[in-house]
Amino acid sequence: MTLGLLLSLLFTGPVDSARATQPPMLPALLSVALERRLADRLGAGVGDTIAIGLDAGGTGRRAVVAAVYEPAADPSAITKREYYLRLHLPDLAALLGAPDRVDRFGVGLLPGARPGTATEALNEVAFGFRAYPSAEIASESSQTFRVVSRFHEAIAVISVVASAIFLLCIMLLKVEERRRDAAVMRFTGISRRTIFSALLLEAILVAALGSVIGVGLAIAASAVTNLYYQHFFDTTLVFSIVTPAIIRFSVLLSIGLGLLAGSLAAWRLIRTNPMILWGRG
Amino acid sequence: MNPVRNLLRHPIRTGLAIAGIMVTTAMLLDMVLLSGGIERSFERLLLGRGFQVRVSPKGTLPFDTEATIPGARGVRAVMLSDSAVVAAGPLLGASLYARRTDTLVTLFGYGVDPVAQAIYQLDDGRDLAPADSTGVLLSQASSTLLGAGIGDTVTLVARLDPQAAVAAVERRLVVRGIVHFLYDYKGQPSVAALLPLMQDLARRRTEDRVSAFVVKIRDDASLAATTERLRAALPALEINSVGDMLAHFRERLVYFRQLSYILGTISLGVTVLLVATLMTITVNERLGEIATLRAIGVSQGSIVRGVMVEGGTLTLIGGSLGVLLGVLTAEYLDRILTAFPGLPAAISFFVPEPRSLLVAALVLVLTGILAGAYPALLAARAPIAATLRSDAT
Amino acid sequence: MSRRSQLPGAPPILVARELRKDYPMNGETVHALRGVSLEVRAGEYVAIVGPSGCGKSTLLQLLGGIDTPTSGGVTLNGAALEHLSDRDLTRLRLTKLGFVFQRFHLLPVLSAAENVELPMAEAGIDRAERRARAAELLGYVGLADRCDHRATQLSGGEMQRVALARALANRPSVILADEPTGELDAATGRGILDLFRRLSLDGVTLVVVTHDERLAAEAGRVIHMLDGHIVNDTLEAP
Repeated sequence: MTLGLLLSLLFTGPVDSARATQPPMLPALLSVALERRLADRLGAGVGDTIAIGLDAGGTGRRAVVAAVYEPAADPSAITKREYYLRLHLPDLAALLGAPDRVDRFGVGLLPGARPGTATEALNEVAFGFRAYPSAEIASESSQTFRVVSRFHEAIAVISVVASAIFLLCIMLLKVEERRRDAAVMRFTGISRRTIFSALLLEAILVAALGSVIGVGLAIAASAVTNLYYQHFFDTTLVFSIVTPAIIRFSVLLSIGLGLLAGSLAAWRLIRTNPMILWGRG
Repeated sequence: MNPVRNLLRHPIRTGLAIAGIMVTTAMLLDMVLLSGGIERSFERLLLGRGFQVRVSPKGTLPFDTEATIPGARGVRAVMLSDSAVVAAGPLLGASLYARRTDTLVTLFGYGVDPVAQAIYQLDDGRDLAPADSTGVLLSQASSTLLGAGIGDTVTLVARLDPQAAVAAVERRLVVRGIVHFLYDYKGQPSVAALLPLMQDLARRRTEDRVSAFVVKIRDDASLAATTERLRAALPALEINSVGDMLAHFRERLVYFRQLSYILGTISLGVTVLLVATLMTITVNERLGEIATLRAIGVSQGSIVRGVMVEGGTLTLIGGSLGVLLGVLTAEYLDRILTAFPGLPAAISFFVPEPRSLLVAALVLVLTGILAGAYPALLAARAPIAATLRSDAT
Repeated sequence: MSRRSQLPGAPPILVARELRKDYPMNGETVHALRGVSLEVRAGEYVAIVGPSGCGKSTLLQLLGGIDTPTSGGVTLNGAALEHLSDRDLTRLRLTKLGFVFQRFHLLPVLSAAENVELPMAEAGIDRAERRARAAELLGYVGLADRCDHRATQLSGGEMQRVALARALANRPSVILADEPTGELDAATGRGILDLFRRLSLDGVTLVVVTHDERLAAEAGRVIHMLDGHIVNDTLEAP
């Protein structure tokens, strides 16, 4: 077979059933790497000895801490508050009493080899395992984040709708508050166009100023959110990001809505008889 | 002073305000539902079969990890020796396969004691008998996957050797019943068989290993004390009452709870702002009217009450419509969140509870009423003559 | 025109003592009233006239307790207004005074009858009684067929009639009117004139601030004001 496969793990041996009857061969002192949170929890550092085992009641096997590492932040794991450590694969397999078993292989392909073709070929001869392109696994495992993203988007849509209505209402009120001013301007000969433009400009300025303040608030809130949750979950994960695209969208939407609301309200005002605006009609 | 008529003086403004209150009410309602919904849903699931305690490997929750408990018989005996314990059901979870024509399909297997189990309910057929070592129960999904129904034979295999392409263990079992597994995600292909059989398939028999126990206590009043006694008797295991499980669950879903509080508070705040702004501007427009009322002898209290009723009416109308919208949006949001991989199909994030709905509604209406109070008070206290003078100019 | 005569020696129902009212305006002080004293007896029809800015509306507002003097005081039916709490003062206005404003100040969302009922509702009168009285009053002012019309559906003259009916709702001791014909044309104003005449003949005590010479001519007593002072009072004229 010329698949261009390069196995990242070379672990072949006798059939599983035969190997399983032999007792696992473990060194007297195992070598482990602890994630930083676990090391903090145990109060252990490099060179310290700890005991690890399968059952809480047992004495466990002695292991020396060879390294302390900071794991990559995994959003799906942060709420579980699980701790991780790393062992050499043969040590873990022997500890589990299953020296010839692994959960998965990571397979690297030579340049030019296509993952789709490789997985098809593997699956043709597979028994008791299945091969997937890494992209497919990544897609499956990111399902959690997609759900959370969709949820956030739905909440965002509801928030935007509420904000839009609120903005429309406030703009209408603000413009209507100026109706007597508008009446006086009409009485003194100022054109509808001038009045409309003035009110529209006011509306845009209010929307623009509100946007700037809103962006500032959003950046501050995002920073506070990250600070809080990073501390709460003891993680380096970034929970909230305010990107230029988000800022652009928010500002444009806000100004657009201000423009719409302002023009609707101003248009209503200039179409109304000034005597009615004055309160005498 | 008729609040509805006053609101109808400016129909567009009132309509927009009602629309705004409607949307914020919907958001508030959804956040109230979210804040405790999944916990209530999970609690119902946990207590659905009447088992109040869960036992799992130390530091884990049931089926959280692949860790197992050795010496299941001995552990069970210790638990049953407590007079408050009525039943203790062992449970083993394992990945295994079934033959379907010339292929293998992946299944999730539960090893159970049918007399004391809390993970499935029978939909069709019959349950496993206590000594039925040749029977199996299928979920609807696995029944469809295998093309097998009640009375059919399925072959479960495990401990596959990829090199030799053989299975170390095979069992031919007769389908006794179709069940729905309470903790399965939607479409999960699961099977259940007696514990010893599943231990054989999963190579857990030697050490008599199980994934968890479910324990039924005689009397709910003694739950806390019994849980403590079990913890003392079995210090190497994790003993959790349903209350403890909910606390763990709550911690895992802290993000949603906090989000619901934050968004709920913001929604309430926006409603207050909207009603307060509207009432402030409305009151300012009617200063002359208010001064006239004061001049002809209407008390400050009457004026303030009238404006508060107006604010309350606005909130009541918008809020009522918001409740309807909130129910629809809750269903939509629930559909999104229940797509979480691995989430039991029985779980819902948005669970309506009359008490919390009533509290939310009361808070909303009260907020609307109070939002108009301050501007009304200011207007009612304004100097009458000066106000009449400025109104005349 | 006949005029009911007062009982000699009857105490005045409305007394103003050395009323002064100052307003701050653009950093300066405007002295709207500079020590005005007067007494009004039951049944009198008093017109207060003078050029714009002479303080006549300010005087009316002080007499009605809707403004507070800088110094001096007002007594109504023996009660000194400056000693009353806001609540008591409001109650007094409700039960002892009736106000008619230049710009009518009716509530636009209410009908004519509902506007008239408003003070009675505030005074705690039951619905049937106040409905009947509102109908009676609207009939008195010639608007029996307009009871259910919204205020915004009425003409200026009609609105002022409704305002007058409202002022009479709780059978006040005194009616205070500030330029009641100010917003009306001559013909409509004549109708208001007739009403005031009728009220006076029926014994209602009236204090009217006006520029309208016809209204002033109807009054039994005319007080001329200038620069915050009373410069002439026909009651004192020999």
